[in-house]
Amino acid sequence: MAEGTDKAREEFLSEAQELIEGLSRSLLGLDELQNSGAEDPSLINEAFRYVHTLKGLSGIFSAKAIGTLAHRVEDALDALRLGRLPLSAEFIDVLLRTVELFWQLLSHEKDGDEPPDLQPILARIRRLTSETSSQQSREEFEFEPALLAVLTEYEEHRLRTCVERGLDLFKVRVRFGLATLDKELDEVKLRLAPLGEVITYLPTGEAASLDAIELDLLLASGSDNNAITQAIGGTNVTVEQVPRRAVGPASSPLSKPQSLEPLTSNRTAMPTQHPDSEIAQAAAIRSVSQTVRVDIRKLDVLMNSVGELAILRGALARMTERLRTDGQRQLASELHRIYRSFDRRLSELQGGILEVRMVPLSQVFDRLTRVVRQISRDVDKSVRLVVTGSDTEIDKLIVEELSDPLMHIVRNAIDHGIEPRERRLEIGKPEIGIVALNAFQKGNHVVLEVEDDGGGIDEKFLIERAVASGHVAASEASVLSRDEIMNLIFLPGVTTRQEVSDYSGRGVGMDVVKTNIAKLGGVIDLHSERNIGTKITVTLPITLAIVSALLVRCAGNTFALPLNSVSEAFSLDPGRIKWIDSREVYTLRGASLPLCRLDQLLELTPLPASNRKRRFVVVAGLGSRRLGLVTDELLGQEDIVIKSLGKSLKQVRGFAGATELGDQRVALVLDVAAIIEEVLRGSEGRELVGSLHE
Amino acid sequence: MSKLARSEQHSNSVLARGLKEFLLFTLAGEPYAVELGRVREIVSPPLLTRVPRAASEVMGVCSVRGLLVTVIDLRRKIRVQQSAATRSSRILLTRTAEDEVVGLFVDEVRHVVRLEGSEIESAPVVLGGDVPDHVLGIGRTGDEVIVVLNLEGMVG
Repeated sequence: MAEGTDKAREEFLSEAQELIEGLSRSLLGLDELQNSGAEDPSLINEAFRYVHTLKGLSGIFSAKAIGTLAHRVEDALDALRLGRLPLSAEFIDVLLRTVELFWQLLSHEKDGDEPPDLQPILARIRRLTSETSSQQSREEFEFEPALLAVLTEYEEHRLRTCVERGLDLFKVRVRFGLATLDKELDEVKLRLAPLGEVITYLPTGEAASLDAIELDLLLASGSDNNAITQAIGGTNVTVEQVPRRAVGPASSPLSKPQSLEPLTSNRTAMPTQHPDSEIAQAAAIRSVSQTVRVDIRKLDVLMNSVGELAILRGALARMTERLRTDGQRQLASELHRIYRSFDRRLSELQGGILEVRMVPLSQVFDRLTRVVRQISRDVDKSVRLVVTGSDTEIDKLIVEELSDPLMHIVRNAIDHGIEPRERRLEIGKPEIGIVALNAFQKGNHVVLEVEDDGGGIDEKFLIERAVASGHVAASEASVLSRDEIMNLIFLPGVTTRQEVSDYSGRGVGMDVVKTNIAKLGGVIDLHSERNIGTKITVTLPITLAIVSALLVRCAGNTFALPLNSVSEAFSLDPGRIKWIDSREVYTLRGASLPLCRLDQLLELTPLPASNRKRRFVVVAGLGSRRLGLVTDELLGQEDIVIKSLGKSLKQVRGFAGATELGDQRVALVLDVAAIIEEVLRGSEGRELVGSLHE
Repeated sequence: MSKLARSEQHSNSVLARGLKEFLLFTLAGEPYAVELGRVREIVSPPLLTRVPRAASEVMGVCSVRGLLVTVIDLRRKIRVQQSAATRSSRILLTRTAEDEVVGLFVDEVRHVVRLEGSEIESAPVVLGGDVPDHVLGIGRTGDEVIVVLNLEGMVG
């Protein structure tokens, strides 16, 4: 019983989350339109529907605070869509602020976090909605009172708006079969949609026969009679333009209210007059039921099973090979056919599950858009966020972990990067700063770029900070390369700002960001030009579940190296090794590559020299931090499922987990990021501060 | 792989009489025991993969039907002599307080013994004050003296 309740509650939380995301999307859409001076009533309706459903839902699960807030937001949106209130930038601000509060309330429901204080926002909504409640009255309009009497408030508002926009009004009379009314009406509305807006439809009351019904559709459109007639097609149509300033002649069937009531409230697809109507509810339920919500852990279980199947596939391949070498060609080729078709299906299965795990980055980006608005307002800078590639897809687990680090980066870009308005004007930059958020797929990786056109990073200041915090000795500061200097920003305690603001400047940002990104198997790079801007690039694997790995052997042990962290492998030419500062450095295509002997690092007993023929170097790492791992043998590539090592081994460094190979052996998976960190940090420390650093 | 079949009913009736069941095994020829209820499964040692730079009592990791298990050498843990694995070597799977399944390597599994709670002498009484964490007490069956191990002190 308790379990059932828990499950229902979990459902509630995840559905509420979807509704809030939906609300946020609609509001951001509204904001964008508002900025470009356009309007789209469907967005307001959409937002209204989301918050309306949220209100109902929170009522069922007695999430009282969410219900209260949803109720007020619903009222505000209702006033908005009825035209009682104008849509202002401030209005959108307040609404977007409520989205933040919804998130906080939800996390309060989920994890028992401190609930936010709703009083200030409720007061703001009250103030906004009361200010203008009687702004416009019906009397200002020249429509016939008889017509106004049958229009709902919403329809009246739409009619007014369309007339103000200079559209013409048409009365389209269409005859429908009674039995198929719903379907035919939808069809007609669909055809009319490109031409304009159907404001309402009313029966004429002049039904020609028992099984037919005639409706007058009131259409606002910029087209003419012919275009409309053609668009609808069919013969049962007459189109008549309603003369301006004389809308709804007295003789019009529109003035027969007695037959209207049931139709207006029941046949309207969009909840207009009665948002609580059953139709609105049913629509909400339908739209939800098309998707299946799945706990990501269940997908992990499936993914593991697929991984085990991949191991069987490997065994099958080996079996085929054995039969072939044993001279059983007939059996071998039969088995090979089975293997091929198994392989194909398995790939499909694998692809399918991976696809289900993938979600668009817009989930994070939408949240960031809100953050940008908020911060730029708070630090009083004009910032425009330009987003590209928000439909790029990435593993759900990665998305979850990505939002904090990205938030940090974007905050930094606005707070530190973009200069104050006066400064920008002074040096001839446009007043509005730009923060660009780009995402795109690159092979098995997703690349995220956060770029600002601000002041760039002050090298001198960065060095001062690094010296002050003891990461760099003053004497060495002058010999650092530009890249090395830029990388100082990832050290703990280093900030580029003197004063601490609400948002950043405490120097706890970038090193945490780097750690979090590294946990996801990602790499972070920073590029900055003084007075031009800063660009931070984050490269992430698309998925964490199944990875292609390079299997290597070293001192009798098999290790797996995730291919996404390997750039190349070649056989070692001892002549190219140089010793620099008690460290082996390899010359590769004219550049230096630090070497690390895997057997030494892992304290393995090296193979006796007589057993060694050639040795190999695997170049690990991405971006500017690369390391050559010296190993005895390259075994080849294989798809592996990484399983984490138990808690009893958590203090052992250098391994990301283990994987089962086809022969039931377990191979350890090297944690390339950690090894690079371990090896290079030691050497960087030496270069920079002698032994001060670790 | 061998499994000890235990029926729920059976252990219930044993408990009713105030008896506890212990699994008897040997390390370097000497008898030791752990509470049977804590042992999930007994398996023949699968291929073990050594984990470089792990603590010395960690023999390695292995896969038991897809589950990744860390195997701990009980002989090293209690500092007795280690000999190479034989046909009778076994791994006892147990769940730690941190909810991780770990394997305990033993030389040979003998049988199940039932001991009355009062039959187990507390270790300090027998051995004096300085007793390692992993010793729960000393039990006797017939002439044999058994060291009853405390799994909590053993893993994690």
